[in-house]
Amino acid sequence: MTDEPAPESSAHTRRTVLKSTAAAAAGTVVASHHTSVASAETAHTGGARTRVTLSVNGERHRIAIEPRVTLLDALRDRLGLTGTKKGCDRGECGACTVLADGERIKSCLTLAVMRQGAEITTVEGLTRGDDLHPVQEAFIRHDAFQCGACTPGQIMSAVACIDEGHAGSEAEIREWMSGNLCRCAAYQNIVAAVADAAEEGRR
Amino acid sequence: MTGLVGRGVARVDGRAKVTGAARYAADHEIPGMLHGHLVLSTVARGEITELDTSAALALPGVVAVLTHRDLPPLRVPSFPYLKGFVPMQDTRVHHSGQPVAHVVAETPEQAREAANLVRVRYRAERPTAHLAHALDEAFLPPLFRDEPNEFVRGDAGAALEAAAVRVEQDYSSPMMHHNPIEPHSSTAVWDGNSLTLYESAQGIVFTRRVVSIAFDLPEANIRIISPYLGGGFGAKGPTWSHTLLNAAVAREVGRPVRVTLTRAQMYTMNGHRAEYRRNLRLGATREGRLTAIVDTSTAQLTRTDHGVYNTSESTLRLYDCPNVHVRQLGVRLDLPSSSYMRSPETTAHFGLETALDELAHELGVDPVELRIRNHASADPHSGEPYSSKHLLDCYRIAARAFGWARRDPRPGSMRDGNVRVGWGMATETHTFSAIQSNVELTVDVDGRATLRAATQEIGTGTYTVITQVAADELGMPLEHVTTLLGDTAYPDAALSAASATVASVIGPVSQAAQDARKAVIALAVADPRSPLHGVPAEDVVAERGYLFARGDRGRRDSYRGALARHGRPVIVTGSRLNSSGHSYGAVFVEVRFDPRLATLRVSRVVTAYDPGRVLNHRTAHGQVIGGVTWGIGFALMEHTMVDPHTARVVNPNLSTYLVPVSADTPSVESFFVDRPDKGSTALGARGFGETPGTGVPAAIGNAIFHATGRRLRDVPFTRDKLL
Ligand code: FES
Ligand code: FES
Repeated sequence: MTDEPAPESSAHTRRTVLKSTAAAAAGTVVASHHTSVASAETAHTGGARTRVTLSVNGERHRIAIEPRVTLLDALRDRLGLTGTKKGCDRGECGACTVLADGERIKSCLTLAVMRQGAEITTVEGLTRGDDLHPVQEAFIRHDAFQCGACTPGQIMSAVACIDEGHAGSEAEIREWMSGNLCRCAAYQNIVAAVADAAEEGRR
Repeated sequence: MTGLVGRGVARVDGRAKVTGAARYAADHEIPGMLHGHLVLSTVARGEITELDTSAALALPGVVAVLTHRDLPPLRVPSFPYLKGFVPMQDTRVHHSGQPVAHVVAETPEQAREAANLVRVRYRAERPTAHLAHALDEAFLPPLFRDEPNEFVRGDAGAALEAAAVRVEQDYSSPMMHHNPIEPHSSTAVWDGNSLTLYESAQGIVFTRRVVSIAFDLPEANIRIISPYLGGGFGAKGPTWSHTLLNAAVAREVGRPVRVTLTRAQMYTMNGHRAEYRRNLRLGATREGRLTAIVDTSTAQLTRTDHGVYNTSESTLRLYDCPNVHVRQLGVRLDLPSSSYMRSPETTAHFGLETALDELAHELGVDPVELRIRNHASADPHSGEPYSSKHLLDCYRIAARAFGWARRDPRPGSMRDGNVRVGWGMATETHTFSAIQSNVELTVDVDGRATLRAATQEIGTGTYTVITQVAADELGMPLEHVTTLLGDTAYPDAALSAASATVASVIGPVSQAAQDARKAVIALAVADPRSPLHGVPAEDVVAERGYLFARGDRGRRDSYRGALARHGRPVIVTGSRLNSSGHSYGAVFVEVRFDPRLATLRVSRVVTAYDPGRVLNHRTAHGQVIGGVTWGIGFALMEHTMVDPHTARVVNPNLSTYLVPVSADTPSVESFFVDRPDKGSTALGARGFGETPGTGVPAAIGNAIFHATGRRLRDVPFTRDKLL
């Protein structure tokens, strides 16, 4: 936070405060200024919507949203897929991790309009009917969560971590899972779950 | 009894949590709902002189921008509302990041952009932000929650004077923030004069009380819903101003409104662990018997409240010392209110357990031995005997598993190549509360049971442990019992804080389940259509949902059969009381320090605990790994920084406020004595959640001293202090 509260003359608007400081707050707003879909005028005042087609968990959804809507907010607020969590909205916690064409991404750091061509997988898309994904099973078996707020992100990240071949040892898992914070700190159980699921995959 | 209690059964809410089906506060879909966004003050002290909302209001989708000019008067609620004032009631600014306007729009993006367009002009006054700048203003705050801030036992001054050995040092710890992964969210839905809140709250019954006072509404008109909580660690225990403001705004605009705090807003809106300075003076005999402790701490307070949340409980009660003087002073600063944060007693305990290590070194006594020599076998302050205490076993078990006997006590003596290895230990202890709790248990006509209580699942395993205990007492399989929590429509129960849940709720659950079992058995034996007809009730046992005659297992009925014939549910309640107390343990840590890079790693942690009876070994172990990791964060990284000129938090995010990640933490080994405390009505279990971790910061500092010969007394022990 850089603007000084000059006594008697503090005429800063909230806008300048946020623009000059909080990258996250600016993330969604500023991004719209660079989106070609919306004109400068509509981007500035908000409101102008665009049609976006998202392919999520094997289903295609057509929604009308402002171009500045993040993939995370599109999933949660527009598609009702609230399994994906918002912990920080600025790429720091990993709670919003989803897969885009099989790669883990932080859905708060990408706009829905930018992901129209991708196949998105969220935690809701891992189960096959009543059967849990092996990583979900392993999380339950190893008690790899407490409150559960980081869990969908941890699980999506774990699926990708195993896929990437980054689950070879405890140290490797700890390193490659460190983009997902768990404030309850179930880390050692998460590591055990990832190792177990990876092992199962190799069998 | 089917042996379910104690077993590490998998969490009953596991499936909901791994599939994304669990609904947290911001996940509930509410038709017609608007999105709110708070505008926070950018100065820390002063007056709002001008508020221009026109640009914000002109944005498409914006429904309203409310300020102190628009809101109706709200009464300032008492505890657990901590701020001492309700924002947006007048023009006064008490801290940076205080709500000054509340924007409501159709989409979250519109609300957020509009919030950026609200222009606020202030007459700013120079704030005081740092404890160091106002220490000469320290005072002894008045009673808080009926507790004094000064405790005297014996004559500590004289005993210190006469002591053969003395240790006197200053210890300090900075402001810290809880940072649960789920941000606070509140959704207000009004129906006439009735209000429903979807809330991230650690104590829905308490939130209801606060809201009822603020709005002058009967509690019966208020319903709080919070089936899952994405962590809280104290941040969601008190009710904070966004909940009150959002409800007031929803009433004004006549539609449901949701407000969710941003991560940055969570650094001024919902409390923090206060910064502390502590002067500790220990007096002891040459044999290491403590004769005096003088503990003078100074905490951040605000100009609007004087809550001291980090009490010096362990100084007062942990060791058998006849002369103790505790003073908990405070200094008023222009900062947001502090609050409880996981294991509040850690703050004082860090000083005490470090000072003891200094004393042990001074005397040439082993640190474990020093603690054993000062072990208290009755409460040193009240003189009351303990109903159960196995702390000495904890030292023994953990020391052996750690290999403590192989420790060379000379600092710097243990090396692994270039790396210096240090071993340190500390006692772990925390208070737990017992809060009057009630539950309702229904055995339905299908023979299945449902338990309802207005407590919460915060991640500690409340759903699981309640279900286990109920199923065990009923004699049903786990799958036949459903536990419903997080709704004030259920009977009032404990808050998920102060390590209170198990201690408070398990007694009522087991009582209700026993009564329900007896009631159903009574139905069966009195029913001529039951195979158990005429069997004396005390000869009937319940297992796996069936009811058997003890001597003749061929005579068999079931909950399902008995209830189907009865034709209506059996409903019972439980409300057995418990009392507060302490849990104990010991922690041993190994650190590895590379002097070339000044890098420090915690490489090994071994713990042992006495929490009374362990109800679920998995969830109890979860509290251990969580608490120990918090201890590592406290010792090595967590630190909220406040700019001294503006009194603003300068690192309100998770990339500059560091919390431990997976790669920062070792795996923790834990042991439990696991003997029931006959003084606890919760099947012999005590409250435990906040005990693990309390000793970790001191144990790490003690290990650093052992590795390097350098004594650190100011957390966090960052690299600059290790160079
Ligand atoms: S919400 Fe996306 S990383 Fe935190
Ligand atoms: S389970 Fe609570 S944050 Fe990870």
